[in-house]
Amino acid sequence: MSPPQPSLRRYGDNAVLVEWDVTGFDAVVSEQVHALAAELRKEVFFTEIMPGYDSLVASFDLASIDEVAIHQRVGRAIAELSAFDAELSGRLVDIPVHYGGENGPDLEALSKATGKSPKEIIAFHSSREYRVCMMGFIPGFTFLSEVDPALHHPRHATPRAMVPAGSVGIANWQTGIYGLESPGGWQIIGRTDSVMFDPNRDEPFLVSAGDRIRFVPQ
Amino acid sequence: MSVKPLITILNGGTQTTVQDSGRPGYRHLGIPRSGAADRLSYAIANHLVGNDWDTPALECALGGLHLRFEQDTTIAVSGAQMWAQIQGMNLDLNRAIDVEAGDILTLSYARAGCRGYVAVAGGLAAQEFMGSVSTYLPAGLGGIEGRALKVGDKIASADLPYAASRTIPRGYIPFLSSHAVLRARSGPEFDKLSAESRRYLFTTPFIATPATDRMGARLRGDRIVTDDPLQMTSGPLLPGTLQCPPDGQPILALADGHCTGGYARGLHVIQADQWLLGQIAPGMQISFRRCLDGEAPDILQTRNAIWGALIPGFRF
Repeated sequence: MSPPQPSLRRYGDNAVLVEWDVTGFDAVVSEQVHALAAELRKEVFFTEIMPGYDSLVASFDLASIDEVAIHQRVGRAIAELSAFDAELSGRLVDIPVHYGGENGPDLEALSKATGKSPKEIIAFHSSREYRVCMMGFIPGFTFLSEVDPALHHPRHATPRAMVPAGSVGIANWQTGIYGLESPGGWQIIGRTDSVMFDPNRDEPFLVSAGDRIRFVPQ
Repeated sequence: MSVKPLITILNGGTQTTVQDSGRPGYRHLGIPRSGAADRLSYAIANHLVGNDWDTPALECALGGLHLRFEQDTTIAVSGAQMWAQIQGMNLDLNRAIDVEAGDILTLSYARAGCRGYVAVAGGLAAQEFMGSVSTYLPAGLGGIEGRALKVGDKIASADLPYAASRTIPRGYIPFLSSHAVLRARSGPEFDKLSAESRRYLFTTPFIATPATDRMGARLRGDRIVTDDPLQMTSGPLLPGTLQCPPDGQPILALADGHCTGGYARGLHVIQADQWLLGQIAPGMQISFRRCLDGEAPDILQTRNAIWGALIPGFRF
């Protein structure tokens, strides 16, 4: 089945948005997003190329190139994507996780809400491989692909003032890792000792978009 | 690094950080550009003291900065309308001045605008991360230990080459008032906003709330809402974008703003006006003016031509 065609829209005066019309997570679209990012990185006139789950934003210096040329270039890249079917390989990185207790303060509540025992939740969460789909909102925050449908659960209505670095959480169908201590509304089920972002390390980021992650219960 | 410090901080003020032109190109890693929030005023300060425009300097939000120079040097203060004094004598903004070892500089609270820039001939030495010394507070990157300056901090000169001090004609200096008018184009989800909200955005002023910092400015005003509740997957976000959460109070993303967001991206301030985002202070009025198709490139080319002729290499 061929994946849905994305739309190309303006984003202000110096960026464009490419967006696929999907609900929830779509693995094929996610691969296309990263393939498009790789293609656009060949051009020097983009100032930022930011892949998301089902969209991509590319910004440019409006003084160096005009919008028409940008739309043509991105449009051509999109047209070429339909031929793209190679699976992104990416590295596979094991992330050890301490589930529950003070490391995962929402595990109990999630268990009640989903009707699954904490043990089952841990098994569901750690039994599949996830794709790193997007980095941000702050350095080291790792947005991952879809969790098992049994674990889908909305964010907290009121975010916590502080979520510790390394926390592993769930938001609707997404799972992810807080790379830095920050405020946050995700359902926190565990914590890793792996340091997702360390500016003093030769390679500051433990993973990057396109990599795969496996959670290993400790 | 010099043996002797160039500057000793006596009071860091509300929030003073070392900034340069920032680290662009890493938003896909969650690293915002950061850098001087008002790159124009920052470039002016550097140019005046004979530096390249993108030399590391101090950015002081709202005021309250006191510092002592430990060596003779040349400085300039630009940006927000702050009452600046050297040894108790009033100091003209936007003019280079020679100071002596032992002189104390004080910046009072800003009367208009938000951020003042203190440039020193030769620049300031600070910690580099991914090609920039800009301080990014949420992750403790760059600057002096990645944090805001505090009493007792000592900063050395970067010993970068610099020219003789320069002047900038008065008429060029940007006029900062308590009402900022930002030209904007629609963001990707503009059409998802209610008809009323779309009209309000361009016709009624907003007020920047105290929840305003280098990451963003939370605005208060007429409620800006979408027609239907928007189920958005988190996606990429740029500085200068007005995000519209369901509570109706929009948030303007600034230099240190999050790299992704999950709310409707209603407006995007044009590239030529983004420098002014750095001068948004709590309590300030903000109006958005719709930028017509084809208008943005002309505005930018004109502004780049004027300022590029005055400050070599500078671009908005």
